[in-house]
Amino acid sequence: MLELKNVSFGYKSQLSVLSNVSLRINSGDFLAVIGRNGSGKTTLTRIIMALKKPSKGEVLFDGQNAKKYSAADMARHIGYVFQNPDRQFFRETAAQEVAYGPEQLGYTTAQIADFVKDALSATGLSHLADAYPQALSKGEKQRLAIASALAMQPKLLILDEPTSGQDALEKQRLMKLLVKLNQDGMAILLITHDMDLAAAYPQRAIVMNNGTKAFDGKVSELFSNAHQLSKWGLTEPAALKISRGLISFGVEQTTSANELSHHLIKLLGRTTHADASTAN
Amino acid sequence: MPAIALENFNYAYPNCDKTLDNISLSIAKGSFTVLLGPSGAGKTTLCLAVAGAVPQYFGGSLSGTVLVDGKPAKDTPMSELAQSVGIVLQDYETQLVAMTVEEEAAFGLENLGLSRSQINLRVKEALKKVGLAGFEKREVTALSGGQKQRLVVAGVLAAAPKILVLDEPASALDPEGTTELYQLLGDLNKQYGITILAVEHQLGDVLPHADNFILLENGKNIQTGSPEQVLSYMRKEQHFAEAIPPLYQLKLTLEEKTGISFSSWRCECDAIAEISKCLQKGVYLSA
Repeated sequence: MLELKNVSFGYKSQLSVLSNVSLRINSGDFLAVIGRNGSGKTTLTRIIMALKKPSKGEVLFDGQNAKKYSAADMARHIGYVFQNPDRQFFRETAAQEVAYGPEQLGYTTAQIADFVKDALSATGLSHLADAYPQALSKGEKQRLAIASALAMQPKLLILDEPTSGQDALEKQRLMKLLVKLNQDGMAILLITHDMDLAAAYPQRAIVMNNGTKAFDGKVSELFSNAHQLSKWGLTEPAALKISRGLISFGVEQTTSANELSHHLIKLLGRTTHADASTAN
Repeated sequence: MPAIALENFNYAYPNCDKTLDNISLSIAKGSFTVLLGPSGAGKTTLCLAVAGAVPQYFGGSLSGTVLVDGKPAKDTPMSELAQSVGIVLQDYETQLVAMTVEEEAAFGLENLGLSRSQINLRVKEALKKVGLAGFEKREVTALSGGQKQRLVVAGVLAAAPKILVLDEPASALDPEGTTELYQLLGDLNKQYGITILAVEHQLGDVLPHADNFILLENGKNIQTGSPEQVLSYMRKEQHFAEAIPPLYQLKLTLEEKTGISFSSWRCECDAIAEISKCLQKGVYLSA
């Protein structure tokens, strides 16, 4: 669906922010983009969105060179949820906020009403259609920003650290929503610092390091190499670290806390059983 | 005398319902306390009450008391409180006022009337502590979100407060930066006895360093105690249990299903050591 070919980007006076990045995003992808602060993650997504133009290289959208597309053109296909969504709201009600995008595309009032209804319902905000956006909770604001993007029926949804500052309940809710959207056919690109999330939900990960693409592959592959992770400023999910530390006892390496606990219950259950039998 | 003490503290922002509801709690000097709870629980408001901004800046109505280092927070000028308490706000960007990194880190000190050489020394140390040495001349606007957040911490550290209040100080940091920041706070706490009060959602990040958890919900103090006590409560009562970090979730699940009780787990290395002990014993017994 979208392809970056040897893309570089730099501000005039500074070193390059991105150098020679090539990647492909396919429909149906659920992709995490991870890496240190300042490694180029946000710049990468801004180039995809045509908010910035590459200094070198090209962006292809559905096989077409995207050079001539503006951010407004790309917004028809790609939804973008910013790091601080409350700074993007400017209308009086949640429903109006969501309607803004489709209104710009010249849909009929009835069509827009449908889009808004569906988007609010998908994000669990139907009951807040008339609420003032700034008065919503942090999690609701985040979901409203997603609803605004969904109303445009995007093929790809980009979210820049949507879970930072969200409480645990909201985080779970958000991830469930993204999984559902992905299952319904939308490609998801998630920038995140949360390694537990990166290990649990996306299928594919891209690691940015110093403006270059350091890794692009399956999430399971990414977490199989501890040395590389620390080189890129990433940490291992707790389950992975523990399972790796217990490998000599026959524990299988896993990033899933659930899997690990099932496995350990079996192993420890045997131990306590052995305890009990010697006691007898 | 505790570092921070709240007694029957109630607070409402102007024209709003109560945000803090009859809170009594005491934070001992030298403790590393974490405020946790769902969004809207009142965590940020409590931090602002400790800094005096609630009610001195925000207005609103209150009853009860907040004592900070023995001083009543609502009656002590914020500038005076600031000499005991350094605060890192949730919306940290609003705290940045200067052009360059070193000017920013020096800003608080300049207002305390220290000599230039003292200021330079403290700024240098503070920037080094947060990993921004070498960035002195950089423009603040050219920093990434994570770097800005660490710069705010440096500005606060430079003033050498006895109490540090940090509202989600790692929200824009990468995993490495988060680990380093909490390691730094842990060191400041252990080596210099600085009292830390931090709001954090990612409890796994603070578990290695914290000795006190306070669970707030709907403005009420739901549970206070050691991290072990509060996490076990959350599990048992299924109260905000989603926030229990995977590391501790594993401990509680294993204890529940196998009947083994482990000693405290604060990091993955503790878990590996404890589980290894049990498995070794098992291998030995069944052999």
